[in-house]
Amino acid sequence: MTETITPADHNAIRDRAAIVGIGETEFSWDSGKSELQLASEAIKNACDDAGISPHDIDGMVRYDSDNNTETMLVQALGIKTLRHWESIAFGGGAGNATVGHAAAAIAAGYCNYAVCFRAGNLRSNVRLGQARGPERIPGGSRSFLVPWGAMAPAHNFGMFVRRYMHQYGATSRDFGWVAVTLRHHASRNPRALRRKPITIEDHQRSRMVADPLRLLDFCQENDGAAAIVMTTPERARDLRHSKTLVLVEAAAQGSGPSIDGVVFRPDLAVAESAHTARDLWSRARLTAKDMDAFMFYDHFTPFCLLGLEAYGFVPFGEARDFVQGGDNIRFDGILPTNTHGGNHSEAYIHGLTHPQEAVRLIRGTSTAQPPKKQINRVLSCSSTAQLSAAVIIRRG
Amino acid sequence: MARKQQEEAEFEAMTRPLEGIPLPDLENLPDYERGFWEGTRSHELRIQRCSDCKKYRHPPSPMCPHCHSMNYEWPGTNGQGQVYSLVVVHHPVHRAIGEKEQVPYNICLIELEEQEGLRIISNVLDVPQDEISIGMPVEVTFMPTVDDPNVVLPMFVRARSD
Ligand SMILES: [Zn+2]
Repeated sequence: MTETITPADHNAIRDRAAIVGIGETEFSWDSGKSELQLASEAIKNACDDAGISPHDIDGMVRYDSDNNTETMLVQALGIKTLRHWESIAFGGGAGNATVGHAAAAIAAGYCNYAVCFRAGNLRSNVRLGQARGPERIPGGSRSFLVPWGAMAPAHNFGMFVRRYMHQYGATSRDFGWVAVTLRHHASRNPRALRRKPITIEDHQRSRMVADPLRLLDFCQENDGAAAIVMTTPERARDLRHSKTLVLVEAAAQGSGPSIDGVVFRPDLAVAESAHTARDLWSRARLTAKDMDAFMFYDHFTPFCLLGLEAYGFVPFGEARDFVQGGDNIRFDGILPTNTHGGNHSEAYIHGLTHPQEAVRLIRGTSTAQPPKKQINRVLSCSSTAQLSAAVIIRRG
Repeated sequence: MARKQQEEAEFEAMTRPLEGIPLPDLENLPDYERGFWEGTRSHELRIQRCSDCKKYRHPPSPMCPHCHSMNYEWPGTNGQGQVYSLVVVHHPVHRAIGEKEQVPYNICLIELEEQEGLRIISNVLDVPQDEISIGMPVEVTFMPTVDDPNVVLPMFVRARSD
């Protein structure tokens, strides 16, 4: 690993941006709406939650994979002037980077009200899990993957999972406890697409899709949108949720070496978010022990285990023991994990629902709110194997 | 396919390259990728190597990521390696895979003997899917694709002497 790039005492965004509004559309298999309509609705809902008008937005952080451009949204929302815009590459795994970047823009004074959003007909339009073609590949890493049938995210990420199982003795059943727990959380969440509880046997009986990944290890593919509105802590005190200030405490992004093509990396048993984690904890001057809840990007259930290890909640190789039976990661357990049900059971909005759920937990409004403890700090992160990002969201 | 047939099929071995899926456009590749495909057409597994620091790299790239030299060469390798990781695909994600009943098939990440961490994606042939495992010694073989016989793929089989 390279040396730490940021001195531990330098965290320029610390507590200088507040999350004041979250909003989403209905999640569905076929929205019947344009992606512009989905984005407009989610952003309007987030503004309503904050108590501002979409006219007030002057900063925007989008995903570069989103079909809604800045110009489309300036027009649709009636934004008066867009002072700051940027887009984040590599989708879900880097989804938390939208929040980190918006926080930086607010801290720098580039804009007053920033919105992060992701909107897509990710099921009824082009599905991420489906290969496209026929076509010829004009070179690049795909031409060294696709001819042998490596075409879908599950094929690449399954390589990590198999290697992880080999190295640490984790089993499909261990991943099943993550699935069971996330579904249990979703069963309490009226927004969730998959609410019917499952057992560990259901998971073990679910069909093998890309061995070692079973159907119940996969996230959903669905339509919908999510948005987050941020501003300065000073402005936040005059807005709708003034009693519960929600601050961005630190943010980090990381890649690790040799990542084009995803699987061409030195060690597939270690999530690259180990790089992200090191920078995040250094900037925040915190550790995993300081976190009250864990929101991880669950494109596939095994990445819960890789994330727990990469961020230091447990030593490498011990996450399988930690998730056993699901008690520790349940909403009423030691480390409430994806209390919304995650990509797995609530909805897949490319990772933006995770920082949203962190906000709910701090407000005390999650549908799986931990009963016995106040949630003060939440880690929202990805342990994915391609450009990861993380934020720490805390009670102000 | 009936369920029973499907269960039996799961123990079948993959015997040849997949059909009907996207292949590289050999006419329009960047120069620094051509050596690989010229090698496979000659039934030789050539992997790009820096002419200066002599480190191998794959997939190919224009500049050595170690010493930043733009000079490279295409030495033949001995084609020996072992399975570093693998996935067995049961659910097709490309229409042609389903239409031609090409599941299950395996995708293997093979670590080549030439250099630690030097890995290539391929398929292991003639071995039942459930017998392929991490660490299994394999060796290269070559097969033209049905869709374009000019595209010859390196494939792997169980090593004859291990
Ligand atoms: Zn070199």
